[in-house]
Amino acid sequence: MSFHIDCPHCGRRPVEEFFYGEVASENESIAGADARNLDRVFMLDNPEGIATERWFHAYGCRRWLTLRRDTRK
Amino acid sequence: MRVPERFRLIHIVASPAALDKAEYLRIAPDEALAFAAPESIDDPYAIVEPDDGYAGLWLDAQEAEKFLARACEWELPPHRPAFAQGAVAGLPAKLWIERDRMLILVPAPYAADLEERLA
Amino acid sequence: MNEFVERKIALTWRAPKRAYDVVIVGGGGHGLATAYYLATRHGITNVAVLERNYIGSGNSGRNTTIIRANYGIPEAVRFYQRSVDLYASLESETGRGIMHRQKGLLWLAHSEAGVRAERARAEVNVAFGTKTEFVDPDQVKRICPQIDITGGGLWPVAGGTYHPEGSTARHDRVVWAFAEGAMRQGVDIQQGIRVHSLRVEGDRVTGVETDQGPISAGVVLSAAGGHVTTLVSTAGVRLPIRTHPLQAFVTNHYALEFPIIVASATLLFYASQTARGEMLMGAEIDRQPSYSYRSSHDFLQHCAFRAMTLLPFLRNLRILRQWTGVCDMSPDYSPIMGKTGIDGLLITTGWGTWGFKAIPAAGEQLAQLIATGATPELIAPFSLDRFARDRTMADRGSAGTH
Repeated sequence: MSFHIDCPHCGRRPVEEFFYGEVASENESIAGADARNLDRVFMLDNPEGIATERWFHAYGCRRWLTLRRDTRK
Repeated sequence: MRVPERFRLIHIVASPAALDKAEYLRIAPDEALAFAAPESIDDPYAIVEPDDGYAGLWLDAQEAEKFLARACEWELPPHRPAFAQGAVAGLPAKLWIERDRMLILVPAPYAADLEERLA
Repeated sequence: MNEFVERKIALTWRAPKRAYDVVIVGGGGHGLATAYYLATRHGITNVAVLERNYIGSGNSGRNTTIIRANYGIPEAVRFYQRSVDLYASLESETGRGIMHRQKGLLWLAHSEAGVRAERARAEVNVAFGTKTEFVDPDQVKRICPQIDITGGGLWPVAGGTYHPEGSTARHDRVVWAFAEGAMRQGVDIQQGIRVHSLRVEGDRVTGVETDQGPISAGVVLSAAGGHVTTLVSTAGVRLPIRTHPLQAFVTNHYALEFPIIVASATLLFYASQTARGEMLMGAEIDRQPSYSYRSSHDFLQHCAFRAMTLLPFLRNLRILRQWTGVCDMSPDYSPIMGKTGIDGLLITTGWGTWGFKAIPAAGEQLAQLIATGATPELIAPFSLDRFARDRTMADRGSAGTH
């Protein structure tokens, strides 16, 4: 699937210039195998709609961007 | 078509405000390439280092237009001179576009690929 | 369902009832096979399969139809071998042609590490009940003369495994065979009905809410493919699933016979020839999650380039069509089947890019689970609670390709 990402430094570029860097989340340490941590490690939001994600502009400024993307489009 | 050669550039890491004061190949808000070391830079923590990591060549305006027409799918900035970067012929390219010529740079390991794709 | 299909198979359509013993959400191969085995093996026929589009319109109609059992872990080899066996007898059982063809599958390695992995695969396969043998580059060339074993100078073939039971079948016909077989026994198949949520009372599922009103059920099975997360979240169930697009394409007719299935995990591509003579190819999933069915030029470029490196004759063909499916990817590349923690709510998901080959076995085993209430041994390792028990089923034999 193809789309464009607006890099705030480089401009509008095809998605192939970027690496997908997972869903943006808070950085917490994981201490034990309780239900909350199980949920955080394995049970994913997988939104059918707006997702907040990190992307790395590998072919341009080599910076991480945080963006919102509609996974249905 | 000529062969890409190694380019000696100056790699600068400095605050965005300091980099705004001169014309550089601005690869990121806090990072730039220059053809020559700046006489001074308004950031006491700036890093200024020679960088031999790029290969490239100058194309005249006509060559450049012809090449980019088939090798670049994004829009170039309208003003001159201008810096732009992104995928060109599938390579991570940096372009310095002047009115009558254009420099195309790629990381040196891609020099052979650039030569092949220019042909 | 289109008119052609209506004429091809003897189906009777009726209006949905307000209550069933079993409601299956999703009229793809998995949902329909489960309904078929419920009816034919267990006499459970008060069953509805609810499909929001037409049957087989999702991944059942978009996959590359490869059937194989050469997986990398014992539990998977046993499970997929059951499916290979059921596929082999499906035509005689249902009386419907599914164009099943045993072709043999070559899985190529391009490095020392790849060769070690393929040797390990052959050992595991033989030990746990399927036929796979290690082959050297000369044998690869003998089995499939069209392969350039120098890999275009970029990816020389260092060895591989040969899996004689590798097969293909016509995906639509598999869907229709199960649908027809189930309907003949009295199962209701409903098309164009959208389930938007599950009805739950306490810890128990009681039915589904649809765009045509509520339908109550004693058991609800989600066989909803890439959309499973959205569906089961309405019952408060969270899944380790991400939905990723998978693309494929076919070329025009190749005049010679290409009698085998070729796959390379290093090059992330696989190829086989359709009954019409087209060369059918696919690759790895798109990196970012998405529910979009859009295809990309970038995929075509990369997949075609790698495919031509190994199979130079492809240069003379043209790409006719490309398409995309949205796949329910599990983190360990193994399916998730069975109970969910909500009474009466069962799932069959995590079919990622490898679901077609599993349709008969998953349907048979889930039907047994629904009929008896007990999880059959063959699918017990693939339960959802394996993640909490730290028993994930990471399978390198599955990763990456079909």
